[in-house]
Amino acid sequence: MFMPKIFKLLLCAVTGLILAQSAFAQSCEPSKVAQKYPSLAGKTIKIGVDPESPPYAFRDSKDFNRIIGADADMARAVFECAGVKTEFFTAGWPGLLPALRAGQIDVMWDLLYYTPERAKETSFVTYMQAGTGGLVAAGNPKKIDDISKLCGLTVTAGIGTVELTMAQAQAAKCKAENKPDVTIMTSADIASGARLVASHRADVMMYDLALVDGLAKQNPQLYMRGFMVTSGMKIGVGVKKGNADMIAAVSDGLKIMQANQTQKKTFEKYGVDPSLEMPTTLLTQ
Amino acid sequence: MKALRIQHTFVGALGTLAMLAWQPAIAAGLDRVQVFDGFKELGGYVGSPFLLGGAWIAVKITLIAMSIGLVLGLGLALMRLSRFKALNSAAWGYIWFVRGTPQLLQLVFIFDALPLIGLRFDEFTTAVIGFALNEAAFSAELFRAGILSVNRSQSTAAAALGMGPLLTLRRIILPQSMRAVIPGLANDTIGMLKLTSIASVIFVNELTFRSQQVVGQNFKFFTVFGAAAVIYLFLTSAISLLQVWLEGIFDHERDRKLAFTWFGLRASTRDVKTADAPVGLPDAAKAETASDHAWISTLLPVDGRTPRHPDEPFVACKNVWKSYGKREILRGVDLSIAHGEVVVILGPSGSGKSTLLKLINHLEPLDWGTIKVDSQYVGYREVAGGGGTVRPVHNLARARAEARVGMVFQHFNLFSHLSALENIVEAQRQVYDVPCAEAQALGRDLLKSVGLARHADFLPHRLSGGQQQRVAIARALAIKPKLMLFDEPTSALDPELVGEVLGVMRGLADAGMTMVVVTHEIRFARDVADRVVFMDGGEVIEQGTPMQVIDNPTHERTRKFLNVVAT
Repeated sequence: MFMPKIFKLLLCAVTGLILAQSAFAQSCEPSKVAQKYPSLAGKTIKIGVDPESPPYAFRDSKDFNRIIGADADMARAVFECAGVKTEFFTAGWPGLLPALRAGQIDVMWDLLYYTPERAKETSFVTYMQAGTGGLVAAGNPKKIDDISKLCGLTVTAGIGTVELTMAQAQAAKCKAENKPDVTIMTSADIASGARLVASHRADVMMYDLALVDGLAKQNPQLYMRGFMVTSGMKIGVGVKKGNADMIAAVSDGLKIMQANQTQKKTFEKYGVDPSLEMPTTLLTQ
Repeated sequence: MKALRIQHTFVGALGTLAMLAWQPAIAAGLDRVQVFDGFKELGGYVGSPFLLGGAWIAVKITLIAMSIGLVLGLGLALMRLSRFKALNSAAWGYIWFVRGTPQLLQLVFIFDALPLIGLRFDEFTTAVIGFALNEAAFSAELFRAGILSVNRSQSTAAAALGMGPLLTLRRIILPQSMRAVIPGLANDTIGMLKLTSIASVIFVNELTFRSQQVVGQNFKFFTVFGAAAVIYLFLTSAISLLQVWLEGIFDHERDRKLAFTWFGLRASTRDVKTADAPVGLPDAAKAETASDHAWISTLLPVDGRTPRHPDEPFVACKNVWKSYGKREILRGVDLSIAHGEVVVILGPSGSGKSTLLKLINHLEPLDWGTIKVDSQYVGYREVAGGGGTVRPVHNLARARAEARVGMVFQHFNLFSHLSALENIVEAQRQVYDVPCAEAQALGRDLLKSVGLARHADFLPHRLSGGQQQRVAIARALAIKPKLMLFDEPTSALDPELVGEVLGVMRGLADAGMTMVVVTHEIRFARDVADRVVFMDGGEVIEQGTPMQVIDNPTHERTRKFLNVVAT
């Protein structure tokens, strides 16, 4: 009650110091990599991406040797912030997770959805939530404006993707309701899935919302977005379990990028809805 | 001219492709300018360093993996052909597994599972290993088929000349099998080049994957994939041309065909040579005369490697038994042949005559008994304290080469990919390390002696049966044999060609060569043989001078046989 002035001053000073220190931690210190993430010092981080997934990771049309996109740019910024060099390793999407587990790449940073199943072997640092879009032919001739309208139609989704699981769940629902079956075609990459829709072999391609919107925007004569689903799924960076320094570096970097608006700006640049951003969270199971 | 034709074909193919692409493009409602621009863009992607870089990765993987795969494949093929069961089944198991599992899974396994046991390969190495292991399994079967397609008589002839199994494989079997193997290998190579795209799942950034990425970025799949197709076509065309070239090299009838289509003059002069007409060539005509065989004595070894034992026979067969499966072929044959003696073996088919010859130079193993040539076992050694029992030595080819026993076969067995001269030179060079010039000189001398001086560069299939057999005799003589075995040398010949071969053999006999001749030529036996041996049912029935055996046979079976042969 009658706290001496000196104590109040001291308290202020300590609080200020703590605040200052936390602010200090929330900034990039590339020169301190050896203290902060000792096992990463001097290393070149292998970032695994499938460069067929615009707007997250794709080849720069001006220089095919450069990989750009919302995820690719963020990955570059985060590791630059941590003070390590990076190198992009490119493979078909189905090859990325196995390679991460085997240690052939250090992180997988390419529209990777968190699922408890995947988290058994991989740690996730999530940074955004997912929206799924249904890409249909221009003009939406079959009036597919909701996922429940898929009964009796042909749907395509990527091998091993969450959208494929969603499509399968919808198929089961149609069956339970005694409606016509959903035919599911799996596609190896996004471009081939989009071709199925363009050639009317499939009625809908289910993929990430930003990607679907991007496709519709670039090719208005071919495609449009039929419907969207916000599944509440989280998207994160995949890191091999137990790689504490890597998890810390990614997590710290993402927090900084979110605080200083880099993520927002990057998302806007590539047409990803900035409102999908979520606070950085580590999910290990 | 040939290059021009290939160019035409290539341009024609490109034109057809362009037409095929043009039609649907027009049908799709695109106007000419759009289509033209599309092709221009396609051309731009063909020259894109990004795509070409991907193609180079595919080419590198294919080249390295193919080279490793072929070496492994040949090894596997030999294991498959081995008489050792363990080797055979190991190779079979490998081929069964690798051919039977998806290559994609193999690649992912090598890339992502082997690191768990500490074997970490980068993506390029993984692709090379994966494709090489696969190619080994597939090419092993191609090699095996090629090796099996070469007639067994070729390896028998090589063995008789003292050539070991590996030497025979390298010099005789493989060159002949390549013709059958190459088309399959070209298929495999083209397949591999295109299939490298499945390695995109293990981070290999080759042509197909790169074009997919470009399409993923700009969605111009017709132009980008079209460009990739043009690059692939270009590369596979190179492989196809390589195939044509290799097939040419291993086509052993090629020189003739080429001579006809390319150099008319050369072809016509050669043509005259094939005709066996001695037009204005007196020395050749002279060489044909049977009386002039003094040369043969120059071939005979001046003195044997081993000291001569006058009391011991030159060839001594003691109690020789041999059976194939349950069939007994030889039943305790005893036969002695003196130095310089000419022995003719007569007998009905299946009496074991040919088998006896094959046992003398150890082309076949003995079941029981011993055979010595010039006081030495051929490829056997005595078991210490075994009471005269013998066991085959390890290096049988070496033993055959040292024994210097020449053999002439019923079906000539000339190496069909080698010219007459090369046939004669082969064993001298490869087995006895005779200098090239010396071997060639002897080869030409021998060809001259058998009246074929002008046929030195002819391949066997350009020669008549009689000519082939004379070359075969020359080939056997080139190893400077101490003993010559003739296995029905005239049975496969047309009657008018028999004389020329018998003439050469007569010359050899006159020169003092020790000879064992299995034949049905009674006249030859009567005129040339020092001794005639009659065999039937795997036993020597009777033997003696031609006069005794042919004119006054004591045994009923001999009389019966001679009656049949004489009529």
